[in-house]
Amino acid sequence: MSDFDQILVGEEWESSELSLLETLDHVLNRGLVIAGEITIAVANIDLIFIGLNVMVSSVETAQEVLRKRELQ
Amino acid sequence: MKLYAYCLTQGLDALDHSPPGISDAKVSLLKHEELGVLVSGLEIDAVPVTPEHALTHAAVVRSVLDRTTPLPFRFGTVVGEQQLKNYLTARKAALQTQLKHVHGCVEMNVKIIQQVQNDEAAPRPEDRPQGPGTAFLAEKRREIIGDERKADQAAELSTLVHEAVDGLIKDEQVTLRPSERLVFAAAHLVERSTVQAYREKVSEAVKRRPELHFLVSGPWPPYSFANIELEFLTQFGVT
Amino acid sequence: MAFSPENPLSVEPEIETSHVDEFVEQLRCVTDSLPSRINIDAQSVEQGLAKLVLTLIEFIRRLLEKQAVRRMEGGDLSPEQIEELGLALMGLEAKLQELKSQFGLTDEDLNLDLGPIGRLI
Repeated sequence: MSDFDQILVGEEWESSELSLLETLDHVLNRGLVIAGEITIAVANIDLIFIGLNVMVSSVETAQEVLRKRELQ
Repeated sequence: MKLYAYCLTQGLDALDHSPPGISDAKVSLLKHEELGVLVSGLEIDAVPVTPEHALTHAAVVRSVLDRTTPLPFRFGTVVGEQQLKNYLTARKAALQTQLKHVHGCVEMNVKIIQQVQNDEAAPRPEDRPQGPGTAFLAEKRREIIGDERKADQAAELSTLVHEAVDGLIKDEQVTLRPSERLVFAAAHLVERSTVQAYREKVSEAVKRRPELHFLVSGPWPPYSFANIELEFLTQFGVT
Repeated sequence: MAFSPENPLSVEPEIETSHVDEFVEQLRCVTDSLPSRINIDAQSVEQGLAKLVLTLIEFIRRLLEKQAVRRMEGGDLSPEQIEELGLALMGLEAKLQELKSQFGLTDEDLNLDLGPIGRLI
């Protein structure tokens, strides 16, 4: 059915280096990022990484403040 | 105790079964405000990049593909539970939009390798002596013309593939590298029922260009269509 | 789109190609160039900044070269002007090489991957 000489599927897929490389390409270079590593990958600078962590912490702090207010 | 996050889901009530997670930990579904995240417990703070771990990550994400379309996390996403929940709350709208965008779809990839370009013409004999500065610019001119030709060729490949799959794809991410052998790489977001038609169309394009070397892989969970960070960047004034 | 038995979705992954070895070779380059773990010590931050600055300068330098060639082809420069321009750009290229070696950076280090836009250089 395929016009290709080689089709890797099933067990062959699991054991081949090509599918491992393709898998690595997907899981290492793509996907949702929580802490800003994609920015690091381009510029390799720590500052932006730290910045994004601060953003997440700010959300945490805001929620804490609201919770405390509710308890009062 | 930290959590290793594999992927984000919506509409998944429970996780009946899952392959083992990183370091054989049990994978569970963490639910938070209509969203769910597949996670497993982790004693360490960072996960080294090894083939075994990468394959484990991929297997866990792939395991939910028969029930839903997840947004995969990047490999190595290790977070505290509260940090994860904060992220989900803060980015909920964007994440739900993205989940809706990929719903019912899978990712297919096309890659093309071209032959090494050796179009460096022999230096043209100059009829009058050139100074070193002029010779330098003349050489740069030759390089630039060569680069432009390569860029045109790469753009042509992009058009070739796009025309083949136009109408069958919902979204695409294309990377062109005109000076390299792996000149073209595309990720396509394809509805599941359309995958077969997609394969056939790509095969047709392959047949038309025997001098090019193609690779088609998939279906994958939508790794290339998961990220929402662009929204974050524009929000904070970075373009 | 519904996940029903009537609409079974094959999620078994496949790779189709006629050139396995070539793709293995090319994809190995992709995994080899992954960023290493982030080090927060002073030296790596400095080198990181140097890399960023030099990459930008390198980018501008190449733009200057392109512009110079365009002007040369445009025919509004005298032979003497062309020679001077070429010499100046030669000097710039040499200076940048010097800076790169001072920081222990190669051409590959300065080649930022901008994803869909491709590589910087």
